[in-house]
Amino acid sequence: MNVTLSHLVNDDASLISRRCWTDPQVYALEKKGIFARSWLYLAHESQLPEPGDFVQAYMCETPIIVARGMDRAIHASINSCTHRGLPVCRSDHGNTKRFICPYHNWSYSVEGQLMTIPQERELQHQPDKTQLGLKAVPRLDNYQGMIFGSFDESIESLDEYLGDMKFYLDAFFERFDGGIEIMGSPHRWLIDANWKLPMENQLGDVNHGPYLHAAVIPPEANEEILRCGYSAVPKAGHGATFRLMDESTPWEQLAWGMEGMGGILGGTEVQEYLRETQAKAVERVGPIRARMKGLTYGIYPNLSFLWSNTSFKVSHPRGPDKVEYWSWAAVPADAPAAVKRVLRTNYSSFFGPGGILEQEDSESWMQQYLGANIDFAEDRPFYYGLGLHDEIKPDPDLPGAVSITANEHYARAFFTRWRKQLEAVA
Amino acid sequence: MTNPIELQYQVEQFYFHEAELLDNRQYLEWLKLLDPDIQYVLPSRINAQVENRLRGSQSMIAVDAELEDKDSEGCPLREENIAHLTVRADRAYKVNSWAEHPPPRTRRLISNVRIKADNQGLLTCRNNFLLHYCRPGSRNFVYSGERQDCLSFNSDTINIRRRRIILDYADVNYPTVGLFF
Ligand code: FES
Ligand SMILES: [Fe+2]
Repeated sequence: MNVTLSHLVNDDASLISRRCWTDPQVYALEKKGIFARSWLYLAHESQLPEPGDFVQAYMCETPIIVARGMDRAIHASINSCTHRGLPVCRSDHGNTKRFICPYHNWSYSVEGQLMTIPQERELQHQPDKTQLGLKAVPRLDNYQGMIFGSFDESIESLDEYLGDMKFYLDAFFERFDGGIEIMGSPHRWLIDANWKLPMENQLGDVNHGPYLHAAVIPPEANEEILRCGYSAVPKAGHGATFRLMDESTPWEQLAWGMEGMGGILGGTEVQEYLRETQAKAVERVGPIRARMKGLTYGIYPNLSFLWSNTSFKVSHPRGPDKVEYWSWAAVPADAPAAVKRVLRTNYSSFFGPGGILEQEDSESWMQQYLGANIDFAEDRPFYYGLGLHDEIKPDPDLPGAVSITANEHYARAFFTRWRKQLEAVA
Repeated sequence: MTNPIELQYQVEQFYFHEAELLDNRQYLEWLKLLDPDIQYVLPSRINAQVENRLRGSQSMIAVDAELEDKDSEGCPLREENIAHLTVRADRAYKVNSWAEHPPPRTRRLISNVRIKADNQGLLTCRNNFLLHYCRPGSRNFVYSGERQDCLSFNSDTINIRRRRIILDYADVNYPTVGLFF
């Protein structure tokens, strides 16, 4: 292949070629080097409480069925009939005993085994059905109810893969007695942009906030980020941005949930729930993390998480020039049903396809894609050098490389890992 | 009781006026058409599992079974009140509303206006729309769907009390569904 990785990403990852977002050859390498070899987010356990429950997912462009089997274990299979390849599951979620392929009605169990071939009784020799099930995703693992799959049989455990990212994830998950729960199906949004653009945005790019979002975000919110905002890279490719509030901060300015439209407009029942949750935070997550007010997180390669506008997001590639961006509202599982319904609007008011804020982001991703796809500018790669020579000192309380948010170290770490993984397969 | 033909005429004229305000970008004027207690909901739409036991029945293919609505345990795309809608309207008058600056060109066609019930000045209405949307530097888009409204009707004013928008898609292949439908 005609791809020299050092021409795409220089050694300190401060210069990134426009081709990284547009070149079909680069995209083919991403499939081989990254999507075939990473832990990819599939679903959350709360979506699959009962045997027979299933949801659809994707691993890169490959459709996946994630189901709770009759054995109560989670199974993930490629949603493609062994006979001629049609998807055997056509609904976004549901509960079933069998997936029946529409073309010739081969039927599969929720665990992915081939159960019946209607045509076989006409034949003298029956095929060995045990060899003809749906292809299983070889590795599955779970962290805090988040189910991940990998096509790489020899990949490290999810625990190692996440590393110190768990410290930041737990700051959120561990706040709630019952963990979290996903509400409904993902919002699926097709955007004319490369899959890495939404990912990079949530990985650590909080510095576009005061500019791109100035029509909606008040200046005080940005002053808070300047005063006490951090960008952590617990491991290259992952990222967490957050504010570490003063100990004297009143609960209304500190509690998870109070920053979104649901928290603001939700009334006393909602605010009381949020206050009580914050009151338990020190005990549940310790004194440092109780003062944490997250912004955005990214988990390599394509999962993002929003703290205040509580949502999981997966950036599913659809070629170099299109992304199918999925987002789900996440709410505390132990909240009363009425409170959950309000808290989901912390997500949907500002983010997702109808969000007031994210319409500006998605426009930027489309325009960045167009900017990456122009001619005669090969010698003008994008500049990723902000903060390159600034010192990052270890922090006694916060794992990883922790810096002010203006430092683009999170993006350089991502592209350093990205380059290495592509080099391995180029 | 108002003559039904006259009522139909008044409701249609109201919708045409509303569309004109929105297409002329008079968002602050449009806000005045809303009841201060407005509920504005855009359910999300899914590819629902076809229930075998419902086969042969109308409910097997019911539109409502595909919607994640306000009272569901799913997540509507939008569930807003006057505060949300005001933030959206105000945004349009700011120079840094980048996705829509310069402003998009829109054209709304409202048709199939049906008055379903008239309950002492509260009208239950449905109508269909096509919305052409053209953002600078992007492709052009046409949205189609149905609006299910509750209008409060006094002899000289009509206000929108509730609006539920049914878009005709499960996947959002549009730059935003944050528009005033
Ligand atoms: S393609 Fe699935 S049964 Fe033939
Ligand atoms: Fe943003």
